[in-house]
Amino acid sequence: MPNTAERAMGKLTARRGERWLGVLAVGGVAATVAMGLWVTPPDAEEGNVFRIIYLHVPAAWLAYLSFLVVLIGSVAYLVTKRTRWDWLAAASAEVGVLFTGLTLVLGSIWAKPVWGTWWTWDPRLTTTAVLFLIYVGYLAVRKLPDSPARRARWAAVVGIVGFVDVPIVHLSVVWWRSQHQAPALLHVAPRMAPVMAAGLMTGVAAFTILYAYLVTLRLRVGRLEDRAVAEALSPRLGRSAEELMDEAASPQEVRAHG
Amino acid sequence: MTLLRQSWAIAGKDLRIEMRGRYAVGLVLPFAGTLLIAFGLSLGPGRALLQQTAPGLLWLAMLFASVLAFRRSYESEGEDGALEGLLLAPIDKAAVFLGKAAAVTAQLLALAVVVTLLVAGLFGLSLGSQPGAVAGAFVLGTVGLAAIGSLFGVLTESSRAREAVFPLLVLPLATPILVAGVRATSVATSGGTGAGSWLGLLAAFDAVFVAVGTLVFEFLLED
Amino acid sequence: MLSRRPEQEDRTGSPAVVLSGVTRVFGVTPALVRVDLRVERGESVLVRGPNGAGKSTLLRLIATAISPTYGTGSVLGFDLARERDEVRRRTELLGHRTRLYEDLTAAENLRFFCTLYGLDAEAVPAALQRVGLAEVAGERVRGFSQGMRQRLALARLAVREAELLLLDEPYGGLDAGAKTLVDDLVAEAAIRGATLILATHEAAPGAPATRTLLVEEGRASEVRP
Repeated sequence: MPNTAERAMGKLTARRGERWLGVLAVGGVAATVAMGLWVTPPDAEEGNVFRIIYLHVPAAWLAYLSFLVVLIGSVAYLVTKRTRWDWLAAASAEVGVLFTGLTLVLGSIWAKPVWGTWWTWDPRLTTTAVLFLIYVGYLAVRKLPDSPARRARWAAVVGIVGFVDVPIVHLSVVWWRSQHQAPALLHVAPRMAPVMAAGLMTGVAAFTILYAYLVTLRLRVGRLEDRAVAEALSPRLGRSAEELMDEAASPQEVRAHG
Repeated sequence: MTLLRQSWAIAGKDLRIEMRGRYAVGLVLPFAGTLLIAFGLSLGPGRALLQQTAPGLLWLAMLFASVLAFRRSYESEGEDGALEGLLLAPIDKAAVFLGKAAAVTAQLLALAVVVTLLVAGLFGLSLGSQPGAVAGAFVLGTVGLAAIGSLFGVLTESSRAREAVFPLLVLPLATPILVAGVRATSVATSGGTGAGSWLGLLAAFDAVFVAVGTLVFEFLLED
Repeated sequence: MLSRRPEQEDRTGSPAVVLSGVTRVFGVTPALVRVDLRVERGESVLVRGPNGAGKSTLLRLIATAISPTYGTGSVLGFDLARERDEVRRRTELLGHRTRLYEDLTAAENLRFFCTLYGLDAEAVPAALQRVGLAEVAGERVRGFSQGMRQRLALARLAVREAELLLLDEPYGGLDAGAKTLVDDLVAEAAIRGATLILATHEAAPGAPATRTLLVEEGRASEVRP
């Protein structure tokens, strides 16, 4: 199973695959913007400001999806020790922090005209803010140790712990807010006309493709970085850079020596 | 030796060092006191506001104090490289996590008593109505803080840069403790109901973090 | 991780140390480069080399304090990557850092060590006596001189019967009496069949060696006598 996943990842990172994805991503975002600005009607209560939802909700969805992928990469790395999973976690975390920041900014922009303040302590937004901080911490940890294996392991631990924490954070913030009657930022789904729902779906799909594109870009950069290190080491270790990268990517199955 | 006995040995060692060096009393307590005075100066002197915010200030003080307590706990492992000694011992590495968490929990609980008394005095927080719930919040909250701190405290053992990351990691992760602890304390001291569900949240947090910490700690320790 | 396998049987047939293409990199700096090594049980190996050559890294790697970046190895029959705790149970590393707790007394430090290794604490007073620290057993390490600290570290050797001893510059900063102590402890270990790997600058260490390794820029080679 890991081999198929790796081959699929390999395909995605091939130049042609990347270009395809990029085109789809741009197209998708353009379609979302079009739907959001023109095709859908203004909201009954909030008017045109409501249109931010077509970017805000997909961005939030991506924020959480990317950290789910960080969790998967982290667990897979600790279990298999294959560096591909660490690359995936790192790439997804960077893209994820971007989308999380975007979610927060969009949430702010939305809040100002509607509620008059830049921040409403809306439970979902507050959880997203904490998520943002946790993953900034994750990225900070990635900068620390000098040994790549150690860095990957520490980051994996943070990735797992962080993800596990988020539902508890969310629950605590939701309860915290329910003590006061201030309303939530997001209107509940039943009020949505079909065309608005379609707009949201387009947004979610488009952003998911955008996420995949950005992650494959970032994966390529990660590969290049590791290659640069392997090439720096190669002359001193007397082995080719390819050999070093292969061995790092899939550590040999060890047999007990007799 | 079982995991429990190994953890107990490590906790005992940490507490003995604590009693010798009196770091909680000499460092952490004054720090908490300084924080409270600073809170008082910045929010007071109006009695009403201080009373209202007292539970929050109390837990903020505990949160920051725990960061300091863990720095200190791992510092004694760093002085002569004793942490490597723990790594090289044929023990379950999770025992280091559990043992240190237990030792700091004990220290934080002692601190909590003093801080609560200070807050009651400085900010007029009344403790009367549900002391059991307040105590429960402290016990569960400090266990949770101890779990996070013991896990990531390993990062502080060597270089300066690592030390700076520690609060950055701990504070957001500890959000549920802060929220639940403050709410439970607030509700319990103002005679409201519902402290129970907050305590339940704290208990769930503790269970999750102790379990996850036990599983992943060795990955932070091994090189 | 959570599996509690009982302590594994000793693998008495296997060599003390086998390293195969072991490389250890710190960042982009290789500290050990493609080291192949085989040490049989009972051998006494002397490791020489300039400062920064990788001697300490080699010893620490065999002790499982650090793991190889590339390559595989086993110690006393147990795999370096997957059976580290079994290696640790049978190996004692005397490194650069003393690994002591400043606020505990000499006796408390040694007793804690015994607890970690499942040894009887009754052995502690005798061990302290052996290394000449009996009188300061109840004093905190914080007040100890460098020489006293190293003696306390040596007490760890005295209290255990490790099958493999890894000594990294054990003579540094010791007076003549303490140096003799090191030699005595090493000799006792050799008599009971332990394997010894000793890295030192000392011109003529008292501990006898059956072979010598030279470590230079991370590479290890045999020195023919």
